Amino acid sequence: MNDLILELAEKFGAATDERSIDKCAIIAAEKLIETVSFLKETHAFDVLIDIVGVDYLGMENHKGKRFAAIYCLKSTKNTARLRLKIQVDENEKIPTLSRIYPIADWQEREVWDQFGIVFEGHHNLKRLLNHVEFEGHPLRKDYPAQKRQWLSENDQMLDQLENRLEHLGYKVI
Amino acid sequence: MQNGSPGFFAGKLDELVSWGRLHSLWPFPYGTACCAIEFMSTESARYDLSRIGSEFVRFTPRQADVLVVSGTITFKQAPILKRIYEQMMEPKWVISMGACACSGGFYDCYCTVPGIDRIIPVDIYIGGCPSRPEAFFDAMLELQEKIKNQSYIEERKKKLKEQWESIKEWGLSIRNWKK
Ligand code: SF4
Repeated sequence: MNDLILELAEKFGAATDERSIDKCAIIAAEKLIETVSFLKETHAFDVLIDIVGVDYLGMENHKGKRFAAIYCLKSTKNTARLRLKIQVDENEKIPTLSRIYPIADWQEREVWDQFGIVFEGHHNLKRLLNHVEFEGHPLRKDYPAQKRQWLSENDQMLDQLENRLEHLGYKVI
Repeated sequence: MQNGSPGFFAGKLDELVSWGRLHSLWPFPYGTACCAIEFMSTESARYDLSRIGSEFVRFTPRQADVLVVSGTITFKQAPILKRIYEQMMEPKWVISMGACACSGGFYDCYCTVPGIDRIIPVDIYIGGCPSRPEAFFDAMLELQEKIKNQSYIEERKKKLKEQWESIKEWGLSIRNWKK
């Protein structure tokens, strides 16, 4: 698997993540789409397991950008796993993967909801876990853990349900 | 009647009504987490809540008397809980079951309501994580004891007085408007 990271380094300028105990490559945000399509086509990484956000604010010995998004990829053909790490600052954006892996749609919404990392080109970037009236991004380190917010109305999920039904071929009246 | 104590008939009516109420407390299970499992076992054959008259678990707030909040209530859930409570008919009572519903439990964070008594009035609190069915029975018996001491006649008197006051206010406002 180290060969894979070397290959990525050659082709897309990836670096190995020293902090990580397993296979993890750091790549630049602009190279994400290329890298992932390459991995999906030639190395059969056909599952995007998760996208994880990280906030490094206040971490000891941390140099570099404040946030990171980590993409966990898996291949069901040869059981290989690989993680891609993208480092961003508060006002930087990451291109969306939802056209390559449809599941990335919701995963990116979750990361945006909790960390405020913006995914460029996402068609429906709105909150997934928190309420529509919620302000701020609760998993950021500078969000006070006990800051509670009163929410006044029920959240409507109907628009998404309708989209889903239409996607499955039903007609919503 | 004259000095505040109900007369013979009124007293008997009070007793009859509260007897009827306390032996037919139908719960509405508002189960959001693990405590609801314990409530289910209270309902089922081994503990059998219908022994004390809570025969049916009603899944509509219109037909239930006791709102049993069992489980963690998040802020996202809170408007729904409040709405369910407001939809219930009078008389209504609330049992808060488990540490989470009573105080937020160990979820000391941005998303959990620290006790449902911040949203709705609570009659009985049950501790425990989760509370055992025996504790739930204890709470039900305590609630029955509480209902026994509530006076139907007094309740009606208070309601009628309130209604009379509002009618009077309405009449006054009409008169002022005519002037
Ligand atoms: S009090 Fe304990 S058992 Fe009950 S809902 Fe909370 S965590 Fe679950």
